[in-house]
Amino acid sequence: MKRPRLHLREAPLPGGQPLAFAIGLTIALFVGTLLLLGAGHDPVRIYSRMFEASLGSPDAWAVTLNRAVPLGLAGLAVAVAGSMGLWNIGAEGQIMAGAIAASWVARIGGDWPGLVLIVAMLLAALGGGGLLAVGPAIARARLGVNEIITTLMLNEVAIRLAQWLIHGPWKDPGAHNFPLAPMLPDQARLPTLFSRAHCGLLIAVAVIVISSLAVRYTAWGYELRIAGSSEATARYSGISLSRKILTVLVISGGIAGLAGGVELTGTADRLTESISNGFGFAGIIVAALALMRPSGVAVVALLFGAVQIGGQSIQTLGVSSSVSTILQAFVLFGAIGAGVFSRYRILLDGEARAVPEEVNQ
Amino acid sequence: MNEASLIGLLVATVSFGALLYLAALGELLAEKAGVLNLGVEGMMAIGAVTAFIAGVELENPWAALVVAMISGAALASVHGFFTVALGAEQVVSGLSLTILGIGLAAYLGKDYVGLPPGAKLEPVQWGGLSDLPWVGPIFFNQAPLVYLALVMGVAVSLVLSNTRLGLALRAAGESASSTDSAGHSVLGLRLSAVAAGGALAGASGAYLTLSLTPQWAEGLTAGRGWIAVALVIFGAWRPGRVAWGALLFGGTLALKTRLQTFGVDFSPIILSMLPYLLTLAILLAISVRSRKRPSPSPTALGLAYRREER
Repeated sequence: MKRPRLHLREAPLPGGQPLAFAIGLTIALFVGTLLLLGAGHDPVRIYSRMFEASLGSPDAWAVTLNRAVPLGLAGLAVAVAGSMGLWNIGAEGQIMAGAIAASWVARIGGDWPGLVLIVAMLLAALGGGGLLAVGPAIARARLGVNEIITTLMLNEVAIRLAQWLIHGPWKDPGAHNFPLAPMLPDQARLPTLFSRAHCGLLIAVAVIVISSLAVRYTAWGYELRIAGSSEATARYSGISLSRKILTVLVISGGIAGLAGGVELTGTADRLTESISNGFGFAGIIVAALALMRPSGVAVVALLFGAVQIGGQSIQTLGVSSSVSTILQAFVLFGAIGAGVFSRYRILLDGEARAVPEEVNQ
Repeated sequence: MNEASLIGLLVATVSFGALLYLAALGELLAEKAGVLNLGVEGMMAIGAVTAFIAGVELENPWAALVVAMISGAALASVHGFFTVALGAEQVVSGLSLTILGIGLAAYLGKDYVGLPPGAKLEPVQWGGLSDLPWVGPIFFNQAPLVYLALVMGVAVSLVLSNTRLGLALRAAGESASSTDSAGHSVLGLRLSAVAAGGALAGASGAYLTLSLTPQWAEGLTAGRGWIAVALVIFGAWRPGRVAWGALLFGGTLALKTRLQTFGVDFSPIILSMLPYLLTLAILLAISVRSRKRPSPSPTALGLAYRREER
């Protein structure tokens, strides 16, 4: 019997990744149809509602774009670290840290003028997220401690820190004993662009463009990519790896923190335990689908945001929110699988194949 | 703090410890074979919901446990297929598995929210032993899954260190290419380890809905899957040390709801950070020490293996 096996293509299939995403989406739609039929819903009606609610009108676009902003920034955070082969699994916590830092500024600067307050909050968010990444960054750069686990652990710590603040020192005395942080001052709200879409979109696009250019065209970015593809090459070229790791992880944390700040000033009224809302984990997936290229993050974030918003909208039709969660998971697995096939070809044993090449995974 | 509440704390410590231990053992097996599975939370959720549904439908707790373990293994095999067979990135696939598991659990369980359990695993009575002061309630009046966790811990430990299978499994996690050269199937070893890990995570989830909190609600696993991931590192990939870690972390879970009754003025939320902070501390200690000694982490952890790329 011939056993199928995977063989690395000399170059990935052109257009492989968009195709992978499309295949993932198709698989998800197919599975979703089965789930919807299983629950006694009309799939055509549900899917058209999903489309209308996410991309069918300017108002729908506004909501989707507002969702794409934290997804894109979180995805960018992961992708910046990923360009160097580092995994920042801590975006979820860094988003929280950013939101906490921004709320702190709002607490002390409640009477500052709007522009000053918002800028100060966003800078604090950047710092807060970066601060949470400093520990893992130093541990990885100096001691070689795996950043996957350290950043993952700090997620749980940051979320509990927010819980503690909301239940304790920052509890709003006017909230009738409910564990709620006080509302943000009115001037701390990001102005809107159109409909409900807020200026966070401009911030996110700017940060994504700057980061893409920096990674692709600057000497700094070039060194980053070399370090990501081969540590040995980086060492021979005299690149200081530990310094690079340190700066990249802290920048990555800062960008994730900024996502928290933008989410706070853009869509939330106050700091809540759920403000990071899974954006950090979704960001990992966004970055992976964008093949860790900062430039691809924006498109993936927009599509992913549309899937999420569409999924939320059908809850009013009585469809359980779990269907949309499952759909997201199938988009992911479909895309992961299709991504593998864009880089590998399937061979049957006995077929002639090229000389095995050394690949550093 | 009186005697009864202290005993209550210790009973809960052992219960929660066993819950965490089952899931952590599963993660340990997968990691020993070289596969990081960040889908523990999703596998626990699937185990919890399928155990509850099977309990209601079959009215037999043991059948429910088996269903949960098979479901956990099946879900884990999705991760196994993508990461081991296709060589996809383990971190991304594992996180996707968490999303899939939590979503599927919510979908499957939506008609069972708030229902009374159809079957429960009642505490095991050990005759006179169960009547002993202190030791009786703490160790000899626990749910069957506590003893299952203990047995599995000993079994995993013995298999890993004393059998050819265990040697091959560890080899697959240290150096896949030499395991392959030695004639073992890296694919088979890793897939089985991941599936077995899923079965254990499923059992851990079943423990929740069959004994600890015998009902189903979304979000029932409450982040305990992440603690299990942390435990494996905390215990330096050794089943014995992971067991002590499980008791310690189980203790923090047990203490969390009891601080107020003990009259301790300390935030339970801050307390619940402890497992993660301790894991970070251990991780640092391991790496400082591993400058002299080799790191306990499996060398090939997280790396895909394809024969052509050897």
